[in-house]
Amino acid sequence: MTLSTMLSTMGAGMLRTCAIFFLTILFSLPLGMVVMFLRQSRFGIVRVITKIYIAIMRGTPLMLQLLMWYFGPYYLFGMNIRGYRLPAIIIGFSMNYAAYFAEIYRGGFETIPKGQYEAAEVLGYSGPQTFFKIILPQVIKAILPSVTNEVITLVKDTSLAFTLAYNEMFSIAKQIAASQTSFMPFVIAGVFYFIANYAVAFGMERIEKALDYYR
Amino acid sequence: MILEMKGIQKSFGGLEVLKDISLEVDSGEVVSIIGPSGSGKSTLLRCATFLETIDSGEISYMGVPAATTGPEGYALYVSEAELRKVKSYFGLVFQQFNLFPHYSVLKNIMDAPIAVQKRDKEEVYEEAMELLRKMNLENRADAYPCQLSGGQQQRVAIARALALNPAILFFDEPTSALDPELTGEVLKVIRQLADEKMTMVVVTHEMPFARAVSNRVIFMDKGVIVEQGHPEIVLGAPTQERTIQFLRNYQR
Amino acid sequence: MKKKLAILLAMVMIPASLAACGSSGSDAPAYRFLEEDLGTESYAIGFRLGDEELAETVSGAVQALVLDGTYASIGEKYPDIKDFLCLTAEGIDEASLPEKGSGDPEYVFKHGFDLDYPPYSYLQDDGSVGGFDVELAQAVCEYMGWGYEAVPFNWDAKDMELNAGSCDCIWSGFTKEGREDLYTWGITYSDNTQGILVAGDSDIKTLADLAGKVVGVQTATSAYDMLEGDRKDLADTFGELKVYETYTIAYNDLKAGAIDAIAIDLTAGSYLIAGDNQ
Repeated sequence: MTLSTMLSTMGAGMLRTCAIFFLTILFSLPLGMVVMFLRQSRFGIVRVITKIYIAIMRGTPLMLQLLMWYFGPYYLFGMNIRGYRLPAIIIGFSMNYAAYFAEIYRGGFETIPKGQYEAAEVLGYSGPQTFFKIILPQVIKAILPSVTNEVITLVKDTSLAFTLAYNEMFSIAKQIAASQTSFMPFVIAGVFYFIANYAVAFGMERIEKALDYYR
Repeated sequence: MILEMKGIQKSFGGLEVLKDISLEVDSGEVVSIIGPSGSGKSTLLRCATFLETIDSGEISYMGVPAATTGPEGYALYVSEAELRKVKSYFGLVFQQFNLFPHYSVLKNIMDAPIAVQKRDKEEVYEEAMELLRKMNLENRADAYPCQLSGGQQQRVAIARALALNPAILFFDEPTSALDPELTGEVLKVIRQLADEKMTMVVVTHEMPFARAVSNRVIFMDKGVIVEQGHPEIVLGAPTQERTIQFLRNYQR
Repeated sequence: MKKKLAILLAMVMIPASLAACGSSGSDAPAYRFLEEDLGTESYAIGFRLGDEELAETVSGAVQALVLDGTYASIGEKYPDIKDFLCLTAEGIDEASLPEKGSGDPEYVFKHGFDLDYPPYSYLQDDGSVGGFDVELAQAVCEYMGWGYEAVPFNWDAKDMELNAGSCDCIWSGFTKEGREDLYTWGITYSDNTQGILVAGDSDIKTLADLAGKVVGVQTATSAYDMLEGDRKDLADTFGELKVYETYTIAYNDLKAGAIDAIAIDLTAGSYLIAGDNQ
């Protein structure tokens, strides 16, 4: 196999890796917000369920969760799971990362002084206005470093999709390594992850800098 | 009558903080509330601005009721929509300023009139710049709160409250968080507002200021109004033992 | 046994011929198998329990491909496998086989396999999916007139994939021994021997020499099952049995001298060392 075939074969996998990454970010960031609110719900039962959910998501290996999401519908309900591979992966990743993001958000909201809410209330801001205009921008600034860490972890975690035989980049690297008895694919994979994470870190740093105008 | 509070009663977990307090503020009046810490003066202000809910009693602004006595004797607040209207009658200046750190000085002042009162941007801008001139901060319009001194921040907070054109302005210990050399600039602004006949209620520890600016001084202790009246009388010739005690301690 | 000897002979011959050209200072190949093996096993097609009809049809089609020569011609493409192809025309009753093109044209046969398992199923040099098992399965579908769908899966999850119906069979160098009751088995189309791979200059000559040594094996393979099962007695003499995610990593460890030997089937092992023994 020539290097260019290797690269183009792995390139298809990189697209799938990127798909997992971006779809997970797209769903888990807002979902984390929902989980955070459920965790502070007025209803005790909702709070308990959410806490159990977070504990499971953080306390069990993501690989196991992926198997659960994919095969669960068949074993529990006898459902036909054809074509369900990518959705299962996205659900698995999003639910897992949402749990982590929820905890990060919670920490972020706790850094906002009560006075900010009171000032907004006295000035007549509505609930949604207070949340989106006053509180959320400050929370985002506070949580940015922790979110960056999670996002970088996610880039590397995408390789866990091999559990469900979704041919993302790392699965292909392993297959090429087996067929070519060569270490080269792993080197390429390493370079790819490094560049991807460098881009993430660079982007997040730019955002952090852009929010640096206030303390 | 701008503000009418009648028979206000408020407890925190069994501890009665306000015991049957009544307070009326007339248009153009400047009322100072003094008293030792824990006397309930800040709580009274927070009840008046709906940051705390009262247990029983009545509150109304400009004759519009906000809280009335319900059938079981407990306070009954009006609907959320009606309350919003009442809220537009007053402004509050906090001890800790509570400016929005991610907004510039100008945006801190302009945002609520535009977002809450849906007023015209141009008009609000003109007014905000006028307020900043009044606060002697017109050259800091584009600065962020973290770049300002405490005194400057508090003046921005006052401008922010005034931008909504309230009928009455509350101050909750506006100079307590400031270094002594910065209190003067804030008190000067409040004095200026008093000269313009702005209706104000000020919770304060600054006795000379209270004496010079207020039309009326209220001394509170242990959840009740012990004594109130003309500043020269309450601060100069108090009749109640507790007031005398407090002022003596204060002078020491 | 004959096949094994042939392989061993070939492995000695190739480097020997290289040495003759003066490209190598030693007569020994870089890597070799021990003469003693761990045992021989059959590779067959595993179907869901109770799926007798499909197992029978596919087995019949494979036999038909033996008769028309396709089976052998696919074998020609995979020199490492050729010697282990155990089916011959002898004893096949042509009348009992399904007719060519007699399958339901709407049916799509879902072939489940591991893409990490050369030369049975693996990525080809051009990046496409291939291997002996893949080509044979495709030929079966062509014979029957079925559609073919490749379902590469993670080997650890093969049973879940099969039970959940995402594939119709496990067909990927799949060992029958020890799993007789777990699947409905189709035809045994290849057999293979588990052996021990060591460096050419290693002082390990017999299985007994492995005592105290570090031996690598890939998880969930027959070699692994054997060392955990029938040959546990042997494995107990090892210094350590190191279990790898893939043989590629194990082989790199062997090259680097981090382990002393690898337990692997002769086909996969020959494929692994082919590059280094040339």
